[in-house]
Amino acid sequence: MKDNHPVDEEPAIEKPPFFKSWKGMYWLVLGNLAFMILLFYAITKYYE
Amino acid sequence: MRPLDWIVLLGTISFIVIYGIWKTRGSKDIEGYLKGDNSMKWWTIGLSIMATQASAITFLSTPGQAYEDGMRFVQFYFGLPIAMVIISITVIPIFYKLNVYTAYEFLENRFDLKTRSLAAVLFLIQRGLAAGITIYAPSIILSTVLGWSLTITNLVMGVVVIIYTMSGGTKAVSVTQKQQMAVMMGGMIIAGIMVVSYLPENVGFTDAVNVAGSLGKMNVVDFSFDWDDRYNFWSGITGGLFLALSYFGTDQSQVARYLGGKSIGESRLGLLFNGLLKIPMQFLILFIGVMVFVFYQFNQPPVFFNEGTKTKVYATQHADELRTLEANYSSIFEEKQQAMQGLVSALKADDAAAIATAEAQVENLNTAGKEVREDVKALITKAVPNAETKDTDYVFISFVMKYLPAGLVGLLLAVIFSAAMSSVASELNALASTTVVDIYKRSVNQSGSPAHYVTASKLFTVGWGIIAILFATFASMLDNLIQAVNIIGSIFYGTILGIFLVAFYFKKIKGNAVFFAAILAELVVLYCFYFTDIAFLWFNVIGCVAVILFGFILQNMIGKKEKELIQV
Repeated sequence: MKDNHPVDEEPAIEKPPFFKSWKGMYWLVLGNLAFMILLFYAITKYYE
Repeated sequence: MRPLDWIVLLGTISFIVIYGIWKTRGSKDIEGYLKGDNSMKWWTIGLSIMATQASAITFLSTPGQAYEDGMRFVQFYFGLPIAMVIISITVIPIFYKLNVYTAYEFLENRFDLKTRSLAAVLFLIQRGLAAGITIYAPSIILSTVLGWSLTITNLVMGVVVIIYTMSGGTKAVSVTQKQQMAVMMGGMIIAGIMVVSYLPENVGFTDAVNVAGSLGKMNVVDFSFDWDDRYNFWSGITGGLFLALSYFGTDQSQVARYLGGKSIGESRLGLLFNGLLKIPMQFLILFIGVMVFVFYQFNQPPVFFNEGTKTKVYATQHADELRTLEANYSSIFEEKQQAMQGLVSALKADDAAAIATAEAQVENLNTAGKEVREDVKALITKAVPNAETKDTDYVFISFVMKYLPAGLVGLLLAVIFSAAMSSVASELNALASTTVVDIYKRSVNQSGSPAHYVTASKLFTVGWGIIAILFATFASMLDNLIQAVNIIGSIFYGTILGIFLVAFYFKKIKGNAVFFAAILAELVVLYCFYFTDIAFLWFNVIGCVAVILFGFILQNMIGKKEKELIQV
C-alpha cells in the first residue's frame, strides 16, 4: 500500500472537452443550475 | 408476480451480477481492489456517482413524496452542482497529489492521527446505519409483494451484493453501476410513459400537467424563508450545498468513485456530469409521482396504499369499520370524478371562473378524502398498534403492481433492486476500505503484505454486509425512508465537512484544536436534533460552522497557553 505523504510534483491536469479551460466547464454547470432554477420558478408562477 | 415478471427480474439482476464478477475477475492487489487500478473513464465515474446516490429509497419514496407534497423536494438538490464545482477545483487535485485511498488519509497529513481516526469513525457510524436502511427499504416492499419474511428478503438482498462487491472491489461496484443506472432510468421513463398513457382519453399530457398545477402539485420553487421548512430555495441552496459538499467531498462511498478515475480530468468530468444531470433526474422522478397523483384523480386510489397493513386490519374485529370507511372513500371518489371532468373541461376552455369553481369542488372532495384516510390511519393504530400509518413509500410500487403489464412489473422491481444494490455495494466497499486503510492498516497491523490487505478488505466487506443486514432486520419503519437516510447523514456530515474545510482553508488551526472542536460541534448538532425543531438540512451548516468556530477559539486558547509556556 502506498504512503500518504505528498508527492513533490503537481499532478498533470488535462484540458476539458469543448472548452479551452476548466473555467468554461464550471460556468456551464453553474449556468445550467441558474437556468433550471429560473425554469422551475417560471413553472411555479405559471401554475400558482 | 407473473412468470414474465420473474424472468425479467431474475434475468436483469443475474446478468448485472455475473457481468460485474466476470469483468473484474483477477483484481489481486490493493491498488486494483480499492481504486480499480485508476482506470475509470468519466462516464463510468459519473454514472457510478449517480447510481451510488440513487438508492432504492429514491425510487420508492420520491414519487410518493411528490404525490403528497408536489415537486418542491427538487430544491433539496440546488446546492449539488455548486458543490460539484467546488470539489472539482479544490478537493480532487489535493487527493490526487497525496495519492490517497480514502478521504480521511488526507486528515492525518494535515492534522494528526486522532483527527483522521475521528473522521473515519464518524463516517463508519453514519454510513453503517445508512447501509442498513438502504437494504431495508426495498426489502419491506419485496417482502410485501413476494410474501417472504423480512429477514429472508434482507438476507437475499444483502448476500447478492456482498458476493460481487467482495469479489471485484471498487471496479466491480463501478462496472455494475453503469448497467444498473441504465435499468433504473430506462425503467422509470417507461413507467412515466405508462402513467400518462393510462389517463382518460380526453386527458392529454398537457391537460395532466394543468390538472397537477391546478391542484397545487407544480410548486417547484419557494423563495420564502422559514427555518422550520424542510424544502425551500434557501435550505436547498445552502443546506443542500453543505450536505453535497460533505457527501461528495468527504464520504468515502462517493470519494472512492472518483478516486478510481484515470486522471484528474476524468474525475472532474465525472463529478460535473453529475452536477449537470442530477437535478433533471430528480425532477423526472418527482414528476412521475405527480403524474401518478393525476392518474389517481381519475382512477380510484386505495384508501391506504400499504395493502399488507390493510389485510392485517381486516383480520381483526375492526374489519367492519374499515369496510365502512372504504365505502365512504369510494363514494367521495365517485363524486370527485364528475368534478374532475368539470375541471378538465374548464382548463381546456381556459374559463377562469369555471376553473376556480371546479378547483374548489375538487379541493373540497380531496380534503374529505384526506379526512377519511386520517380515520383509516387512526383505525390502523387502534387495530394493529405497531403498524406504520405513513404509506407514501407504497404509493408508486402500489401503482406499479396494480396497473403495469406483465414484464414491466419485473422491470420496475429490477429498478428497485438495481438501485438498492448499487448503493449498498458502494457503501460496503467504502466501509471496508475505510476500516482497512484508516483503522486496521494504520493503527492495528502496519506490516501486512498487499495480499493480506486485499483479504482483510474482503473480510471487512463481508463483516459490514452482515452488520447492515442485521440493522436492516431490526430497523422499524421510519417516518419517511429517504428523509431518514438524509437525517442520519446530516447529523454527522456537518462535523466531518467542518474538519475538511478547516483542513483546506484554515491553515492556522492545528490538530488538537480541530479534534476537540469536532467533538463539541457533534454535541451541538445532537442537541439540535433532540431538543429543537430546526429542519435537518441546517444540521449540516450548524455542524460545519461550529467546527470552524470552536476550532478558532480552541486554537487561540492553545496558542496563548503555548506562548505563556515559552515565556516561562
